[in-house]
Amino acid sequence: MRVLVIIPAYNEEHALPALLGELRALPNLDAQVTPVVIDDGSTDATAKVAEEHGARVLRMCKNLGIGGAVQSGIRLAFREGFDFAAQIDGDGQHPPGELAKLMGAAGDADLVVGYRDKGPTTLLRRIGSWWLRVVLRVTTGVKCNDPTSGFRLYGPRALALFDSEYPYDYPEPEALAIARARGLRVNEVLVTMRERQGGQSSIAGFAAAYYVFKVTIAVALAYVRARLKPRD
Amino acid sequence: MQQVVENYWMFGAVCLVIALVLLRLLFRERITLQGSMSYLAFLVFLGLMAAFPNVTQKISMKLGFTLMSNFFFCAAIAALAVLHLRALVTLSKVHTRSIVLTQELAILQEKLERLERQQAQPLRAAQGN
Repeated sequence: MRVLVIIPAYNEEHALPALLGELRALPNLDAQVTPVVIDDGSTDATAKVAEEHGARVLRMCKNLGIGGAVQSGIRLAFREGFDFAAQIDGDGQHPPGELAKLMGAAGDADLVVGYRDKGPTTLLRRIGSWWLRVVLRVTTGVKCNDPTSGFRLYGPRALALFDSEYPYDYPEPEALAIARARGLRVNEVLVTMRERQGGQSSIAGFAAAYYVFKVTIAVALAYVRARLKPRD
Repeated sequence: MQQVVENYWMFGAVCLVIALVLLRLLFRERITLQGSMSYLAFLVFLGLMAAFPNVTQKISMKLGFTLMSNFFFCAAIAALAVLHLRALVTLSKVHTRSIVLTQELAILQEKLERLERQQAQPLRAAQGN
């Protein structure tokens, strides 16, 4: 079984060596793991560091944002016939050792989301996360403990779908809505997550409130659009 | 109620100036003809409205406007809204295409670099022997 591990990274030269080292030393994973770092227009030595540590590197000539970066990896996985693609944050929040749990939960699911037992840290984030859970539940029927989690495993059907259709701005909750609308099976599994090892969150302060507002509209739109779109 | 036909030569002059600016941009190849055709069409339409106020007044009265100036404002705002929406659609398409092109470029570049490395390996081995 071949798994492409997609690591979107923007200025993550400090966090990548440890993350790629952990991926190389993964024990008990019955799969051939290939890491690919998506250098999303970094201004530091992210691409060079990733190459030096044995990862494949896709260099974006401009910053696409998380959605565009992840979709690049999904496109690569789909075209090269990988069985699965895993998405791991480049800041080191997602321990590669937890990949086994995602793969164990794959079963007949097309998309597996890893969620943490301890929710978001700040009150604003907790409220935002709760609201997004409610929106997803009401509009799409998806029950998900952490719809914003970027620790995910994509099966063949999810790769085929997201190769052609993937949201760009704040993609995680929207991707769940699209997956549900197109009849994909979504599963989730409890995983351990760490504090970020480097870089900064792009969603902080007032941006968090804007994020929740925008994603609320985006989720409903994505679901309706995907439902109306004729299936291949 | 009898309406006084007002002159709207100033409005027509503004349309003409904007049309001239648009033509200048076209000559300098800052914008494309295809992209600016709708803009030119709207300017000609609004300019004609200003040039022939009698006809415009008849139309505005039939549409229920008591003041012709309100009809001018309404027509101009509607025209600008349509032009803006068209620009928004074009911009969104260009944005999406630029993302897809960036992704394709990155994938092809990586593939090319891997092939080059694969080709260089036997060469280096041969040179070593």
